[in-house]
Amino acid sequence: MADASTANPPCINVSNVVKTYRRGVDEVRALRGLTCQIPQGRLSFIVGPSGSGKSSLLYLLGGLDRPDSGDISVFGRPLTEFTHRERDEFRRREVGFIFQNFNLLGNLSAVDNVLVPFLPQGISADLRRQAVELLTQVGLAKRLDHRPNQLSGGEQQRVAIARALLKRPLLVLGDEPTGELDSTSGAEIYRHLRQLRDQHGSTIVVVTHDRSHIEPGDFVLTIRDGTLKTD
Amino acid sequence: MFPFAFRNLLSRPLRSALALCGLTVAIAGMVGLFSVAEGIQDTVQSTFGKMPGLVIIQPGAPIPLFSRLPADWDAELRSVEGVHVVHPEVWARAHLVEGKAAISPPRFLFGSDLERADQLLFSIYREKIVAGRYLTAEDRTTLHCVISKGIAEEHQCTVGDTLKVDGKLLEIVGIYDTKSLFLDVAIIIDIALAREMGKVGTDTVCNFYVEPQAAVRYADIADRINALLANRGPGAWQPTLDQALDLAGDNPALKSLAPLAKAALAAGGESKPPQTSPGEAPIEVRSPEDWSDQVQQFTADLDLFLAIMTTIGITIAFVGIVNTMLMSVSERIIEFGILKANGWSSGNVLTLIGCESALLGLGGGVLGAFVGWVATHAVNARFPTRIHLYASPKLLVASLLFSCVLGMLAGLYPALRAARMAPMEAIRRG
Repeated sequence: MADASTANPPCINVSNVVKTYRRGVDEVRALRGLTCQIPQGRLSFIVGPSGSGKSSLLYLLGGLDRPDSGDISVFGRPLTEFTHRERDEFRRREVGFIFQNFNLLGNLSAVDNVLVPFLPQGISADLRRQAVELLTQVGLAKRLDHRPNQLSGGEQQRVAIARALLKRPLLVLGDEPTGELDSTSGAEIYRHLRQLRDQHGSTIVVVTHDRSHIEPGDFVLTIRDGTLKTD
Repeated sequence: MFPFAFRNLLSRPLRSALALCGLTVAIAGMVGLFSVAEGIQDTVQSTFGKMPGLVIIQPGAPIPLFSRLPADWDAELRSVEGVHVVHPEVWARAHLVEGKAAISPPRFLFGSDLERADQLLFSIYREKIVAGRYLTAEDRTTLHCVISKGIAEEHQCTVGDTLKVDGKLLEIVGIYDTKSLFLDVAIIIDIALAREMGKVGTDTVCNFYVEPQAAVRYADIADRINALLANRGPGAWQPTLDQALDLAGDNPALKSLAPLAKAALAAGGESKPPQTSPGEAPIEVRSPEDWSDQVQQFTADLDLFLAIMTTIGITIAFVGIVNTMLMSVSERIIEFGILKANGWSSGNVLTLIGCESALLGLGGGVLGAFVGWVATHAVNARFPTRIHLYASPKLLVASLLFSCVLGMLAGLYPALRAARMAPMEAIRRG
């Protein structure tokens, strides 16, 4: 494990971020003035117990949500000041998401699921070739035309990884990407993530409460009760 | 985007099929309803297009049955320059045919001046004889008749048989088939017999059919006839009280009023008939185009009624599609969240749902127009002598376009709801 300030320059700066949700009549304070930095080009883990605010921070970093207060800057750009349209653009060009339950579209084949981010713009032959290449890299060369319900959990997650990486994003965000998988498939997913990080140079931030996949050199951020926990 | 939208619809076959059914029924209903009005217009155009002459009729009378003109104008009309033949006609309802009330379809006695009919260069009934022969001057004062193929089939009779109409046994000498619902209702007989059976005075006709000489313009003849009959008061040929009572037949109620009416007239003197304005003719000269215009006035009212009926059907279909799309959007909230997380903008999501709605609209339009078209043909085949529905290409295309617009409008609200949803909210709610 390493310090963000020494190994790589930070690409994400989170400053005093507060996020509160309403769940029915209850108010859930997910993040309570969290401040942290995440280094560039590394595999970073956000760990902590359930309900500590890990996923909330991840979705704020990906522009899927907005904080109630505080500032977030990604690659030097103030994400919290982005307009609706700018956040759409940010997600479209610079962020790849990997979800715990894969979130593939059931009526599309593996290769078409990888191409989903580009469907509105139209799919060129070159883009399709890149999607096939990515699926081949994650070991799904023989599963290109399979629908999600014809793939195992590990295979589905590998499709989701390929989907997240097709746009060559600067930032890949994973929300418990191995949470639904057995340990072997989980290890396989992290192997692919590390390999793709090395090839594409992406910054990968993963939320997990399973520390077994963390390796020396990975950056770890521990959150508890919506604030950064310093060991 | 359309292929993706199409695949989305296919992935929910039951929901898509139900939405498609709702729209198909509405559009088919629309085609069916408007084909009634179009059928009437088509029948009128095809009917009066077959009659190249002018019809002189009492002003405002919708059809010759309700018109009365003095028979002695015949000679004056024949003297008009450019007129080839003047054919006096008498029309009357045939109430009972073979003992059955002739209500739907109605049957009419068409009294023809057979001597003049022989002189006509073109007579639609004569041209369309399919069995036997047409009436000639030789048939005057006889009980000979010519009937339509529809009437012959309805009463299972043919040439040589008799047909009992309002108590008279008419002998069938010919069968015609114009294939027009308006024309194939006539039982053609001698004009004198029609007057007798229809209780029309001998000095009265319903209308004159005027056949122009070759290369003479309708408008010129109409102007000359109007000029000829200008300033004639209509009272001159209106029936006297005695004639009116005679027309009433054996109706005892009307007969009992006769002494009272006569006494009132004796005390107050006969009321003066209304006079036409100077220069105004007491007749209307109708060309084939005029008949079409008149029927279009009638069908405009019918169109309004049909539009109201269609609006009800379309509203139900519209609500159905909105409901279907809302349900679909609710089910797919997480999907829209995923799409947005993967960089889809709100506009992209809006476009996707819009495409799905438009495809439903297009599918419903194609199916609805086809079903409506098939239904009109089926109805026409089932009731060939009673109704003529016509779904024109224009109506079918309009229905198709309307269905597409309807589909897109119905999908707009659900699409806006889905597009406005924040991706995180969508994923959480999912």
